[in-house]
Amino acid sequence: MPEEYYPWGGEFTACNDKSCVAVVLLNIDYIPSDKVAIYGPLKTENIGVEKIVANVISNPHIRYLAVCGDEIRGHRSGGSLVALNKNGIDKNHKIIDAPGAIPYIENLNEDAIDRFRSQISIINLIDVKDKKQIDKIIEEALSRNPSPFGEPYVAIRITPEAMIIDDKRALHSKIVVDYMGKIKKRGK
Amino acid sequence: MFSFTKEQKVFDISGIKIGGQPGTYPTVLIGGLFFKGEPDFDKAKSQLKKMYDLSRRIGNPSMPDFFVRKEEFIEDIVDFIEKSTPKNQPFSVDIIDPNLKIKILEALHEKKLLSRTVYNSIHVGTTDEERKTLKKFTPEAAIIVAFNPKDKSPDGKIEVLANGANLLDKGLLDITKEIGIKKVLVDTAAMAPGDNSGASISAIPVIKEEYGLPTGCAIHNVVEKSNWLDDFKDARKPVDAASNINIPLFGGDFAIFGPMHNSDLAFPMIAWEDILVSEYTESYFGVEPCDFHPRRKLF
Repeated sequence: MPEEYYPWGGEFTACNDKSCVAVVLLNIDYIPSDKVAIYGPLKTENIGVEKIVANVISNPHIRYLAVCGDEIRGHRSGGSLVALNKNGIDKNHKIIDAPGAIPYIENLNEDAIDRFRSQISIINLIDVKDKKQIDKIIEEALSRNPSPFGEPYVAIRITPEAMIIDDKRALHSKIVVDYMGKIKKRGK
Repeated sequence: MFSFTKEQKVFDISGIKIGGQPGTYPTVLIGGLFFKGEPDFDKAKSQLKKMYDLSRRIGNPSMPDFFVRKEEFIEDIVDFIEKSTPKNQPFSVDIIDPNLKIKILEALHEKKLLSRTVYNSIHVGTTDEERKTLKKFTPEAAIIVAFNPKDKSPDGKIEVLANGANLLDKGLLDITKEIGIKKVLVDTAAMAPGDNSGASISAIPVIKEEYGLPTGCAIHNVVEKSNWLDDFKDARKPVDAASNINIPLFGGDFAIFGPMHNSDLAFPMIAWEDILVSEYTESYFGVEPCDFHPRRKLF
């Protein structure tokens, strides 16, 4: 597997890196065939979705993302992933029309999301649990064998700038603590 | 071990005291009943009994946290709360789905249980309809989760509490005040390893000095998501329980310690830490432990 593939890690199994299908498992006890590129579970509607986006766009061969199994209760992570692919994010980085409770994408830049929306077509199998039916739909997608989507896209994880501390600060820039452990707000 | 300059609020929530200067009141321990699949109430009853017995013996107040995943379980779980938890004890309800949150508030109102309810939780995903329902059926207290998807540092957590971090029309504290909930507990939102997981602990003294509100978190979630611990199976449960020690050490007031069946480890560990904190804060800051503090009960 090329080194740049799947840079964000996570709980997944990588199979055929030239395959055009990746599979997201919601609440389902199912192992796809090793003809798919990668498969793994999705739990949360924010960080979980981000990892899937970053990983699938790193492999340009992946063109389909099958999302299958019972929806994750409360989080509605499967629906939020589908909504991201369909609608993108708003100015507050919230997935537009996502059904999840806290569907914010904060660690990926907009280029990565645009790439995800252009490269990937979702195969929406949310609430489908029939393994034979899922296998059949995945086989159909595999047989389409579309061309790769250009070069691998390695998404940079957005991290806040580290604060430069210019004096002796204990614990945090907002508070100070004396040698015995008494805390007070800095500057007071 | 710390003491704060800012006056620290202490809330009495249906008979339990929470908050204050470190060393005054023991850490409140919140144990979860997750009910995976069909609720097993016999098992829940025995876990509750074990937790309450430990709480009485050791001194740390306890509170069950009821997870509700499906609408069809609401009635049974609320019935169970009514019949199987002591009338003078609080409990919390922990629900992710906004629609279910509204339905449980109605059910708790009908059973006249809101005066013992700690609503878990209000956060950036709280919907307008949920706010309206909370105004109508107002629980005794609420846990506010200081999760800021844009900035997981202590500053980001304060921003979402203070002004909504441009994700909400106002800060979570103002939203809660507008709803009419006066007893507010701040959960510093523990994140997964690799996602600034330590910030939930370092935010505790920052938030307590800023607002004086009872503060804590579910730090055990970080342990649960530390997959490398799968290679050290015997260590997983002790590490999970021990992670909670960070909370009183950094001046916090409550620990959402995970599954209630972990009470046997969590209670003695936290009591041990509370004693340590109390000995220091009394000798250096003159903070006296309350009469039910483990330091008084166990010596």
